[in-house]
Amino acid sequence: MVSLARARRPRNPLAAEDNVAGWVFLLPAMIIFVLFIFGPILYIFWLSFHQWSLIEPAKPFVGLDNYRTLFSGDADFNLALRNTIWFALGVVPTQTALGLLLAVLANRKLRGKTFFRTAFYFPSISSSVVISIIFLWLYSARGLINYVLIQLGFPTPRPPWLSNPRGIIDMGLGAVGIENVSVWLAGPSVALLSIMMMNIWTTMGTMMIIFLAGVQDIPNDVYEAASLDGASRRSQFFDITVPLLRPVILFVLTLGFIGTFQVFDQIFVMTSGGPAKTTITLAYLVFQEGFGNFSMGYASAIAVVLFFIILMIYLVQRRIVGETAVR
Amino acid sequence: MVELAGTNGSGVLSRRKLVKGAAAGAIAAPALLHYGRIGGAQTPAPTGTVRLSGPTASPEEEELLRQVLDNFAQAYPSITVNYEPVPAEYLIKLQTDIAAGNAADVFYVKNEFSQDFMSRNTLLPIDEFMANDGVADADFYPGLINAFKWQGATYGLPKDWSPLGTCFDEQVFTDAGISAAPATWDELRTVLQTLLDTTGQPSLVIAPALDRFIMFLYQAGGNITNEGATEITLGDPATLEALDFFYGLYSDGLSTTPADSGAEWPGDALAKQLASIVFEGNWMFPFLNTNAPDLQVGVAELPAGPGGKGAPAFTNSYSIFAGSQQPEAAWVLVNYLTGNDGMALWTSLGLAMPARPGLMDAWLQQYPDRAPYAAAGEYTIAVQYGPGGQKFNDDANAVLQNLFAGQIDTAAAQQQLVEAATADITLATPSA
Repeated sequence: MVSLARARRPRNPLAAEDNVAGWVFLLPAMIIFVLFIFGPILYIFWLSFHQWSLIEPAKPFVGLDNYRTLFSGDADFNLALRNTIWFALGVVPTQTALGLLLAVLANRKLRGKTFFRTAFYFPSISSSVVISIIFLWLYSARGLINYVLIQLGFPTPRPPWLSNPRGIIDMGLGAVGIENVSVWLAGPSVALLSIMMMNIWTTMGTMMIIFLAGVQDIPNDVYEAASLDGASRRSQFFDITVPLLRPVILFVLTLGFIGTFQVFDQIFVMTSGGPAKTTITLAYLVFQEGFGNFSMGYASAIAVVLFFIILMIYLVQRRIVGETAVR
Repeated sequence: MVELAGTNGSGVLSRRKLVKGAAAGAIAAPALLHYGRIGGAQTPAPTGTVRLSGPTASPEEEELLRQVLDNFAQAYPSITVNYEPVPAEYLIKLQTDIAAGNAADVFYVKNEFSQDFMSRNTLLPIDEFMANDGVADADFYPGLINAFKWQGATYGLPKDWSPLGTCFDEQVFTDAGISAAPATWDELRTVLQTLLDTTGQPSLVIAPALDRFIMFLYQAGGNITNEGATEITLGDPATLEALDFFYGLYSDGLSTTPADSGAEWPGDALAKQLASIVFEGNWMFPFLNTNAPDLQVGVAELPAGPGGKGAPAFTNSYSIFAGSQQPEAAWVLVNYLTGNDGMALWTSLGLAMPARPGLMDAWLQQYPDRAPYAAAGEYTIAVQYGPGGQKFNDDANAVLQNLFAGQIDTAAAQQQLVEAATADITLATPSA
């Protein structure tokens, strides 16, 4: 298409006008993008080289000082990085697997599948703040989850879900007599795990919709041929659906990692990073340093690091899938 | 000045109270002084438009402030006030406004953040204005105005305040045969033990948070920094004593956290009768009146510890933006709002307590049950952790939460508190 248009251009005097029209139509979006997204991103790089506080008139250039502080063992940054990685490692595979499972189920000829599709997608279109507040109630000491646990005969956990800073791996090892595991190995805290579960529930609907599109793209005759050859449902799933969905799976994984590395709203509403900082994520730390600790320059440095982490994830995904395979 | 032309209910109320105040001799002299200045026309009253900004806790509070500003408009017709209330995320809004050079001329500054603002030259020193208009430090509770002083200069005047106090469910106390609120740490333990034996529940609800722990720190005779914030004093034995007592209440089952109790905050726990004793301020009462109107809540001074009495206070100042184009007019507004007339009207609904000891007697005639809060005025200290204090606040909360979760012991907690304070707090260089 592109080459055709280019070849025709000298003969068609209207093409130049088309070009202008194209730019005019693009312009509003371009202006908004440059002004409110691209510009601020560049500005963050500039800020990260300064000792920059919103409330201080003097904003001296400090070179790489912010980065030096960041990588010379800033406890908060390490904590946030650890929490974010645990969060991503817990949430992304689970939501991908569940999203795929739901997509395959929702693609079957089941009674009420439209209801299930809507029900599972619903959390994705709701405000994350509203969902966070609902889960705040569910997780509360006298909330529904504890009520159900009591009815089932379990003891209620104390401290309750969102105020328990103990790492789950640490708790598991503690149960078999291994004490004092290192901070990294302690695993996500009960509080972080609670938010992770909520996040999985919220996003698996989005993943389901993406997978659904992929699943519906697989031609039916492949399955027909397979079933004529005597392939079971199970092997059809693992030998046809999953391999053919490979690019979609990688796309969903990438989306998932980018989303989880940016998690902020849930933390802001539910825990403010507590208890004992076990739910501080990188994005939340950016906010806290910038607005709570009056260090926007340092916060920008963290944001730049976060930017490169996400860029790396994206590049790895591109390398694996190859440009052409992305739909 | 005394003729406040309030026409609706609370305006009349406050006028009555003002007259009372004048009769008590607390208000007459400064009011006359002020009147003389305006009437005498030695210096013409400043003119201009002053922008005023602050967070709003409730519609009642916003309405009341508008009334105060109406009165100001009558007293100073040459100055127009644009009131710009901020319903949420005030600190963030304020910071971005300041960065844009667009901050209001006069705005609220909380005691917890004031040192960060003062040490960064964001606020205008007002000492000269104060001297010219005869406003003295001694007009305010020392623990409050000191929160707005930095290296010898004053950067704002407290508009109101509340300390923490012991708030208890009178019915539960009577049922358990407890006749008086605990006056010492030992009595507190005894009372809590009695309540535990009677109700089978921990009856004190208090969060493992620095802004609550600090009351025990004060009462043990300790503090985060020395006066003037030149040295970290958390390494003192008082800190360990306070940690042991605070954590001891929890580990012995005498106290619990809001999260454990299933309440959102201690006031909520009291309203839901999940707690029968909490350490909260005057701000809790509007909430209780709405959520538990039948609850009889008694107020007492906080129990004294081995270091004597100690009560953390929370306050806001009216401060002037260093970049203000009309500092003179802004000062006139600040001086009115924190002066006898403005403050008397502002505190007349009982939502807030006057920061001027001279107004307290009149206020207490209206709200006699809050006398224990007022009594703390002599020794209260506004909570401050030095510049960088917010980071320390976060770190210290994490330490306390780890302590309560059984991850560390009190000695380790003290050590971590000292480390955090040393790393986070920018100490003041001793001023010459």
